[in-house]
Amino acid sequence: MIARRPLTAAALFAALALVGCAPAPDGAGDTDATDYCARMVTNSGGLEDRSFNQSSWEGLEIAAEEFDIDVDAIVSTNETDLAPNVEQAVATGCQLVLTVGWELAEATVAAAEANPGLHFAIVDEMVDADNVKPIVFDTAQAAYLAGYLAAGVSETGVVGTFGGDPQPPVTLFMDGFVDGVARYNAEHGTSVRVLGWNKETQNGLFTGDYENVTLGRTTTEGLLDQNADVILPVAGQVGEGAAAAILERGVGSLIWVDNDGYETLPAEYRPIILTSILKNTQDAVVEIVRSDLAGEFDASPFIGTLENGGVGIAPFHDRTPLVSAELQAELGALTAAIIAGEITVESPSSPG
Amino acid sequence: MSTETTAPATAGSAPEKTVITSWKAPIALGVFALLAVVLFVFTPRPADTSTFRLSTPSDVIQLPEIVLPTHATGIVMTVLLVALSAYSAWLVWQKRRVPLWLIVVFAVLFLIAFLAWAGAGASIPIYGLLIGTVSLSVPLIFGALGGVISERVGVVNIAIEGQLLAGAFASAVIASITGNPYVGLIGAAVAGVLVSFVLAAFAIKYFVDQIIVGVVLNVLVIGLTSFLFSQVLTENTELLNRPPRFEQIAIPILSEIPVIGPMLFRQSIIVYAMYVAVFLVWFGLFHTRWGLRLRAVGEHPQAADTVGIKVTTLRFWNVSLAGAIAGFGGAYFTLGSVGAFNKEMTAGMGFIALAAVIFGRWDPIRATLAALLFGFASNIQNVLGIIGSPVPSEFMLMVPYVVTIFAVAGLVGVSRPPAANGTPYIKS
Repeated sequence: MIARRPLTAAALFAALALVGCAPAPDGAGDTDATDYCARMVTNSGGLEDRSFNQSSWEGLEIAAEEFDIDVDAIVSTNETDLAPNVEQAVATGCQLVLTVGWELAEATVAAAEANPGLHFAIVDEMVDADNVKPIVFDTAQAAYLAGYLAAGVSETGVVGTFGGDPQPPVTLFMDGFVDGVARYNAEHGTSVRVLGWNKETQNGLFTGDYENVTLGRTTTEGLLDQNADVILPVAGQVGEGAAAAILERGVGSLIWVDNDGYETLPAEYRPIILTSILKNTQDAVVEIVRSDLAGEFDASPFIGTLENGGVGIAPFHDRTPLVSAELQAELGALTAAIIAGEITVESPSSPG
Repeated sequence: MSTETTAPATAGSAPEKTVITSWKAPIALGVFALLAVVLFVFTPRPADTSTFRLSTPSDVIQLPEIVLPTHATGIVMTVLLVALSAYSAWLVWQKRRVPLWLIVVFAVLFLIAFLAWAGAGASIPIYGLLIGTVSLSVPLIFGALGGVISERVGVVNIAIEGQLLAGAFASAVIASITGNPYVGLIGAAVAGVLVSFVLAAFAIKYFVDQIIVGVVLNVLVIGLTSFLFSQVLTENTELLNRPPRFEQIAIPILSEIPVIGPMLFRQSIIVYAMYVAVFLVWFGLFHTRWGLRLRAVGEHPQAADTVGIKVTTLRFWNVSLAGAIAGFGGAYFTLGSVGAFNKEMTAGMGFIALAAVIFGRWDPIRATLAALLFGFASNIQNVLGIIGSPVPSEFMLMVPYVVTIFAVAGLVGVSRPPAANGTPYIKS
């Protein structure tokens, strides 16, 4: 794949940098904080991907400060780096190795089996091993709220979404979004349509990569041409193309994913951001480091939900006037119902 | 876009009339005709009508929507497609050439039938399809123009991707610092030239294998811009990565021409610069002394040297010019599209531009058309994804590449590069 090109030199630098900082304590679950260290291995997105690599690393940095431990990251730049980088992380002798992304699942499980004394955690993928803790997020729950909200604020009765690749972590958002819109229609007798995703056939609109912002822009223009006025891009930085298209047309709102777009996107896009579907990776990572330090590590998956604050929707910021008090109340009730288990948001891509 | 039996029509390249008849075109057309029969006649769709919208809501002249009966359209078009492919087979059997118009008509009919079939029950904005095509093609066309100049003068330019990316990076940073997108454009061209300098120096002065230098340059620029992005730009986003964007300028009167007006004349200044660049490169290559010399050096450097043309100097400056054009095109990713620079944001477009150079047989106009074809194929995938086509999304993502492969392999046939392309000139 051309889009993900190697940046071998940077990986080499990262590797060199790591050679020096490798204390070699033995055994895992060591509660002595001064000896404890954690290593993270990114996928090809790198540390500044404004997505799970970045938020996992932020979590690890918070943990480093809070518990006074040593942390570092090994940046992967292409598919062939993954396994060597995991081995590199293991070789540092650190007690906890955190890997990010489904691409790393195989290498992580292999390393975990070879090193039963070490603890591993993997973000965004379910794996089955005794010493690997999967950190996954049921983003469909938050996307459900976003879909309900989108249907509620749409004036044209059409909303749209598109993804980067047809992969479960992406389509999970789209499934929840479609269901949220359907829920609004059922409650209000409206017929708001969703363009770009068909939950039954699991078929929809994808850009095919996470880099080509121009493609994100033309895709969004296509959705706007079909009168969609709320757009949910689930495609990393390609979503910025969506923001540019909406700003240029002067119609419509954007729903950002993973983090609060109001904070992370360029300021010129702030007025068009309706909300963001949040994935709270930071806190999950901090919690796992804490429990490992306390000797409470286990391999049961951490599933981020509305209930435990792992997922959620961001404030409406500048778009608050669009959201009526009734709609806000309905969203609150919906959140409570999901937490109470009265509503289950189902998706073929759901974790667990 | 013509059959492999047509000889290169461009002035200057040696005309070679081939008499070999090839069944490639009839077979390709036959396969598509068969596909048409299966899809448009025997695969029914849930809705009866397909609507095509031709005018944007803001157009002065509003064309009515065209509503076609889906199944009847499919049948009529399929009959025509079968007839056309039979006619092409008859032509080849008669030892005659399959004319270009036949393939173009076939492609257009197939497209109409396909859109009607896939868009049953929905309304397809034709204008959106065309506007998006131009947007997606702009960097490809600039890249392809750079490729054409560089290769015509005899230096293989694999580094188009790197030049685009360097242009995107430099334009974002410089436009942010100065607050002036026009300065950013100049910066983009300069960045492209800098990448080209390395290529030119190694390829022309030190006779290093041009393909290897090009590949290494791509990796170098990706590494360098990604490094600077994560180490410098993300730290100082407000100062270094918030460039102003070019507004779209609607040209009076021209932009109100139905269908093609919004596509061609409601664009940003980079796109208008592109029209000028395509014309200038075409005119320059084939109608000026500069172009004649450039092509002479690319075809037969010894002969050019004998008549007093400084081969290495000419190559050096024209490779630099190629870099300037490609770098300029890189600015479209930032100033013309979303503004901020992002890691690896050219997403392999430079390689597609390289394919367009070869597909376009080293001719600026044909390379432009090839780039537009790719842009169109990418955008049709978008439009069909939006209206919810029956084709699985994984398959739709392949469409632009499948179209490119078909076009290069099936329709272009033998393409002859400039004779001295890729070989360093060592004066003896």
